[in-house]
Amino acid sequence: MSYPYCDVTKAFADAAGRHPDRPAIAHNGRSLTYAELDAWVRATARRLGPRPGVVGVVTSRSAATVACLLGTLAAGGTYCPIDPAHPEPRRRALMSASGCRLVIAAEPGASVPPGVRPVDLPDRAEATRNAGPDRADSAPSSASSRVAGSALDAVPVAADDPAYILFTSGSTGEPKPVVTPRGAVSTVVGALRDLFGLTPADRVLQFASLNWDTCFEEILPTLTAGAALVFHDDAYSGSFRRMLRMIDAERITVLDLPSAFWHELVRHLVEERAALPASLRLVVVGGEAVNPVRLADWCALDTAAIRLVNTYGCTETTLITHAVDLHGPLAARRAAPWRAGERVPIGHALPHVRQHLGEGGELLVGGPSLALGYRGRPDATAERFVEIDLGAGPERYFRTGDRVGRTPDGALVHEGRLDHELKVRGVRVDPAEVEAQIAGHPQVGAVAVAGAVVADHTTLAAYIVPRSPSGVVALADDVLSYLRDRVPSHLVPSRITVVPELVYTASGKVDRAGSHRRYASAAV
Amino acid sequence: MNVDAVSDIFRRVLENAEVSADSDFFVMGGDSLLATRVLSAIARACGVELDFDDFADAPTPGALAKKIASMA
Repeated sequence: MSYPYCDVTKAFADAAGRHPDRPAIAHNGRSLTYAELDAWVRATARRLGPRPGVVGVVTSRSAATVACLLGTLAAGGTYCPIDPAHPEPRRRALMSASGCRLVIAAEPGASVPPGVRPVDLPDRAEATRNAGPDRADSAPSSASSRVAGSALDAVPVAADDPAYILFTSGSTGEPKPVVTPRGAVSTVVGALRDLFGLTPADRVLQFASLNWDTCFEEILPTLTAGAALVFHDDAYSGSFRRMLRMIDAERITVLDLPSAFWHELVRHLVEERAALPASLRLVVVGGEAVNPVRLADWCALDTAAIRLVNTYGCTETTLITHAVDLHGPLAARRAAPWRAGERVPIGHALPHVRQHLGEGGELLVGGPSLALGYRGRPDATAERFVEIDLGAGPERYFRTGDRVGRTPDGALVHEGRLDHELKVRGVRVDPAEVEAQIAGHPQVGAVAVAGAVVADHTTLAAYIVPRSPSGVVALADDVLSYLRDRVPSHLVPSRITVVPELVYTASGKVDRAGSHRRYASAAV
Repeated sequence: MNVDAVSDIFRRVLENAEVSADSDFFVMGGDSLLATRVLSAIARACGVELDFDDFADAPTPGALAKKIASMA
């Protein structure tokens, strides 16, 4: 199957044309129709002007951020999310590394670095005044959007124009800006609409942070299928009781959750003997290995009618490249329940994906969903994006760094990393980046950061050796607040332990796992 | 729920016996995922449905027990 290039903004405008009065976004119970969102998107694109370059968007979990995303793309620009929770120096570094020239904030008055122009988001009420459900009395339903759209349709976009820039962890302490082209986005969004089987009747919970690419797999397939995207504070409250009630009340049909969060949901359902809301038909998980024990628990619940789909993908290969139904109506039957120690598959390549198993079982991914590379980092790009010839001429592949094997039916199973990267709640973290940040603290002499599995999920544990014995008092707390001022929370270790010395390998390199083994029990 | 009952939940979730009335959950290695377990356990024990913000405001067994009492 192939997905001819049809830009995602066109796919959205088409959906809006087909379903102008259906809800596009519901936020804490209030909804915005497709015609209203479309008008807001167009107003945003007009305000940005044609080809605005890289547009930083100060994100929030809101319809406004979605209008900024689609508006930036409609204008022919490149979207770059800016997390307002990041420390100021980090935000400035990311804006500079992405080449951001404009910043839109949903709330006016945001501080921006010199050289960056702030743009106010068009007022929603003003932008959507002529797009309300009642406008049908005065005008044909698509007339206003057709007129407004003509100016925008003049912005020509190509499949290899950059659509968005997101950052992945880099070993030097500097995150690497991944540039994803529009063709990759539209290809993958089409593939995901098919994988999820989305129809206008679906209501998809928006759960992922708007700062990570997972949010695009919730937002874009939904809004190009005519389905509704649901934002609700109860989803992020930390209370599963509230979340489950909300899913029921909002008639949510699709959930896309980080595996680690899904593990906690399963645990909650088992302990409370709670039922899942009847509206749910699909639960997508990904980002970390699925725990087979939680999976067995899930299968033993009343979940036979719900598709449970495990997914795999990298930022550099755009959202999801591999998927498999683990349970529910489309899953292969299993002879025996899942047991501890089994490896749960990450799935089969989606139709647009070419895969190759390289040296050491490394998964290489090719095809139209590859990123253009790391902005301003030709060395890092050349290292990970390689040309290989499998007989049909040289083709570009991304080296994922993931070691994989195959199940008898051809699905891939993840067997580990070829480097030291970790997945912390679905976000890739190079421990060297965290070490580089911690080493910047004046009282730290040496540091090792390792992954520690705590209660079904990976967390970071840092072991630090003080530069001088006098600096020991409160050093762990001091390093903690030092980090919180500089890096986002997923790079802050949940445990920092001051130790007399690190463990070294025979060749004299810091042994992260060895240091963790020696001191882990002392840390608890 | 009294302080001892909340401390017990902390001990179980953090798998750490050294919890006292003023142990900060997030300093002792608790993260948001583990926090959901504490919130579920409290809701199950006494019906009070706290959220992350409540927990962040009152991250110790002592403070949390007071918060629960004020909301029960």
